[in-house]
Amino acid sequence: MDRGLYIAASGMLAEQIRQDQIANDLANASTPGYKADRTSQRSFNDLLLANSATGATVGPQSTAVQVDRIVTDFSGRPLRDTGEPLDFGISGDGFFAVQTAQGVRYTRNGQFALDTQGRLVTASGDPVLGPNNQPITANADGTVNPRLIGVFNVTNPVKQGDSLVSGTAAGAATGTVQSGMLESSGADPARSMVDMISSMRAFEAGQKVIQTIDETLGKAATQVGSVSS
Amino acid sequence: MLEGLHSAAAGMAAQQQRLDAVANDLANANTTGYKHQRVGFRDLVYDQTGRSSAQGVRTGSGAAAVDAGRAFAQGTLQRTDRTLDVAIQGEGFLRVRLADGRDALTRDGGLHIDGNRRLTTSTGAIVQPAITVPEGVGEDQVSIGPDGTVLAAGNRIGRLDVVTVRSEAGLLSVGNNAFVTTAASGAAIAAPRATTLTQGALESSNTDMAEAMVSMIESQRAYQLTSKAISTADEMMGIANQVKR
Repeated sequence: MDRGLYIAASGMLAEQIRQDQIANDLANASTPGYKADRTSQRSFNDLLLANSATGATVGPQSTAVQVDRIVTDFSGRPLRDTGEPLDFGISGDGFFAVQTAQGVRYTRNGQFALDTQGRLVTASGDPVLGPNNQPITANADGTVNPRLIGVFNVTNPVKQGDSLVSGTAAGAATGTVQSGMLESSGADPARSMVDMISSMRAFEAGQKVIQTIDETLGKAATQVGSVSS
Repeated sequence: MLEGLHSAAAGMAAQQQRLDAVANDLANANTTGYKHQRVGFRDLVYDQTGRSSAQGVRTGSGAAAVDAGRAFAQGTLQRTDRTLDVAIQGEGFLRVRLADGRDALTRDGGLHIDGNRRLTTSTGAIVQPAITVPEGVGEDQVSIGPDGTVLAAGNRIGRLDVVTVRSEAGLLSVGNNAFVTTAASGAAIAAPRATTLTQGALESSNTDMAEAMVSMIESQRAYQLTSKAISTADEMMGIANQVKR
């Protein structure tokens, strides 16, 4: 019976993680090229309960719940016009490649600038790469031909922060680069709000379960076998 | 527990920074040669979450604002018909020396003649190389050609030096419409030939009112939404506290 206490507590912990993920989505509601997450939960291995007197099976019983993984939705979002010559958006699939100190990383955030050598760089100063992994040099007037920028397919992309994802490049992607555009954030505030409410209520339900079990235990401890009543 | 509190706070701080930038852009909607700020965002590091999650489950820790420098798009030219007003068309800056002795770059071409007959900007920064207007020559006798040549009553007295840098986004704004070069911008080099000067005009601010207003509304709403994540986290902590009555 008291197993329920732990099951309810594990549910509350899982909801806390979901809440953290939703807060991160909301915080990035304006981050260009941000991709929204979704938390998926799964139950621990079920336990087969059996009647200890007769040996008859009672049925499976879950032991707890945990956050299994956080899935990122990498699908494209609409581009919005910014009019800045060094803002780029990918319409369709693919990622920009960026040469960082840790190796090549990928991003859909195309808010770029030029460095002192006239190369196209990200906001953190890392060079953006062309289709053959070479840095891209701007024209004399400070513009960059969007067709020079490489767009790559990335397998198993994993978010790294700083708008970057790591993964393995798998050839050129079908997406096309447009200048003067940025991809909107993938965070959907309406969905996040709904998720936040349902997560909070699930958390609250977990609390009620714990309180109820506690009450039952309290009764067992104080009232069962009491002679006075 | 509930790292989301901090993620949301980081997101709110980022929105606030954008709002500050937009406010500055709007305040400078009529500043000659003003270039609006380019604010971006990035997400922060993703960390393994605590207990009750499988290995490899990582949640992010919010967002931060990124200063992407200024947007150096050309502002529209405004006719003033004042002989000492000069607008730069195309990439480039006038070289000036600030009151504190630093060399700086500006696109504010509202020039004046100071007590020593030197050409200065409206904030008193001296045009470099210094150009002295001879005694007895009035403002209306000065003519400035498209290449920057300055004539006083028909005689050549100097040339306005128009320069640029490799990376305009790396320039540091020091107020008074002036920028100083940094390691990120590179040193000043000659402006491209296509850049010309127009006498009798000033370049207006390139703040786009409509865009600034939209940014402002978006920032405010995003700020509001993110604050809800904080109040929800707070409520959840309250619920957790009530487990034991």
